[in-house]
Amino acid sequence: MSHDARSQSPASAHDSSATRPAWIVVGLLLAVGIVVPLLVGTYDSETPRLGGFPFFFWYQFLLIPIVSALTYVAFRLSESATKRDRRARGLPEQPAEQSKGGQA
Amino acid sequence: MNEINAVELAIFLFFFLLVTVMGFMASRWRRAESLDNLDEWGLGGRGFGTFVTWFLIGGDIYTAYTFVAVPALLYAGSAIGFFAVPYTVILYPIIFVFLPRLWSVSHRHGYVTPADFIRGRFDSRPLALAVAVTGILATMPYIALQLVGIQVVLDVMGIGGAGESWIARDLPLFLAFAILAAYTYASGLRAPALIAFVKDTLIYIVIIAAVIYIPSKLGGWDSIFSTVSDSFDTFNTENADAIAAGDASGKALFPPEAAQWGYASLALGSALAPFMYPHSLTGVLASKNRSVLRRNAALLPAYSFLLGLLALLGFCAIAAGIETDNAQAAVPQLMRDVFPSWFAGVAFAAIAIGALVPAAIMSIAAANLWTRNIYKAFINQNATPKQEATQSKVISLVVKLGALLFVVWLPLDFAIYLQLLGGVWILQTFPAIVGGLYTRWFHRSALLAGWAVGMVYGTWTAYQQPVVGDPGSHFGSPLATIPFTDTLGYIALTAFALNLVVVVALTFVFRAMGVSAGHDHTSDDDYHADAGDPGVEEIEVDELSTDTQTR
Repeated sequence: MSHDARSQSPASAHDSSATRPAWIVVGLLLAVGIVVPLLVGTYDSETPRLGGFPFFFWYQFLLIPIVSALTYVAFRLSESATKRDRRARGLPEQPAEQSKGGQA
Repeated sequence: MNEINAVELAIFLFFFLLVTVMGFMASRWRRAESLDNLDEWGLGGRGFGTFVTWFLIGGDIYTAYTFVAVPALLYAGSAIGFFAVPYTVILYPIIFVFLPRLWSVSHRHGYVTPADFIRGRFDSRPLALAVAVTGILATMPYIALQLVGIQVVLDVMGIGGAGESWIARDLPLFLAFAILAAYTYASGLRAPALIAFVKDTLIYIVIIAAVIYIPSKLGGWDSIFSTVSDSFDTFNTENADAIAAGDASGKALFPPEAAQWGYASLALGSALAPFMYPHSLTGVLASKNRSVLRRNAALLPAYSFLLGLLALLGFCAIAAGIETDNAQAAVPQLMRDVFPSWFAGVAFAAIAIGALVPAAIMSIAAANLWTRNIYKAFINQNATPKQEATQSKVISLVVKLGALLFVVWLPLDFAIYLQLLGGVWILQTFPAIVGGLYTRWFHRSALLAGWAVGMVYGTWTAYQQPVVGDPGSHFGSPLATIPFTDTLGYIALTAFALNLVVVVALTFVFRAMGVSAGHDHTSDDDYHADAGDPGVEEIEVDELSTDTQTR
């Protein structure tokens, strides 16, 4: 693919300030998902127990769906922010579907 | 020494041969189309929907790492053993952040390896070479872990592993190596895509049976945890003197305060590493677009749940009274004791195939990296396709031999330490690869210097760690005290921090001196481009072979 096609997209001209708050929220959600599991001192305890599991273990199992949910919310926010960003750059909102059949 | 059980062995062989024969047939079926194209794995999932992709990726996550290596840590009472769960939890937010950028720039420029990207971004052949060499080196101990997984299954089934002569003792290891070599040589990478469904179905059946049936058979989690807790207390009391003298490790359910950074740094260091291995990028590029990557990042943590339960099988083995010197054998032995023979055969086939397929993928990806970024870039720029194919085949064997040497030479108290050693190396390419995705500020020569410092410090520090109770031995722990502190941390992360300090400091120096930073072949909007945008081309299967040109 040639470099000419690329230079047609007015990427440098686009204004990203409209979606900046959305991207900051995305970043915060993900940061929580990364930092909280690393704070070992907040969960290194046997009690309270749950279903026979010491707190240390069931808390980390609990973190799995929580971080998953945070990441999913971040995903949804990033989707709408990406659409706006793409519109601002003069691109179609939805990327083209590419399949193995290959209309690319 | 275990006795061979005929039913178990027959079922094991049946499934093992079924999958292997499918692999061989797969390679013949496609051979006429493109003889020298080695890379199809990962791209197989491209036409599939989210669920099928999810199913297939999961099958690749559950390797000997999850079945054998992680439970072994818990079985041995290692306080940091459960780190694999926070590792896989924080992995997905991390993927979410940087993989879409890597996807975009790779699709704009036809990059199929991290070294391709480095060369385009930083215009530096030495830095690309460093990244390629590191990828190949770091893959070897990772393959070694899979070899140990196959070895231990054969061992538990009673095939070799005991006796006076070293041939009998090491028979499972050499069988494991021979199977892997033959399998890779004959079927290449096509086989995994085709056998993925059989393999993954087997693996899921075994995981679900194991995490439901085994704990219930042992009286439930309450009783398992209290048995384990008592057993650790007894051990610590009986060996109090040895533990105080440093000749034995104290056992614990979870990390005491002194080991908390060790635990967290293992999780963080492991989560930063996976997508810089040569075999990983293929799967990333196979995703349809950026959105699929992010959606999967949100769905993947469900795997962590099963991984956590599998890890706890290490505790189940203690509760079931399994006694073995080889911690890796604990869970396979547990399955043998608890499951009926026929299902133990199914389980062992699942574990062995689950180790074999990723090991094959890794060795071929490392070999292709060699051919593309070292052989063609530095040794023979006008190589014919035939020469390239020969290089890839030979080097994939060399990589496996390297893995074998890791198994033979390094202490194997914990096979997971092999993979963690690979992490020490691969993480030193992070500043160039991930840093490069965000900024061109880092100077190429500073990145190279930082990489060298990180590699030397990490390797030397890992070398100096003795196995507990065996003074003077080497590579005995992934943790070491962080310089100028008393805190234990994962060597990879400490080396990475040092690496980064060097990169930043030298970047200032080189920029002040006006040393040329080279020409950046990428542009800012390359990092946001999505499928169908101008300049974005689908990376075809053929492009993954070693002769693809970057744009």
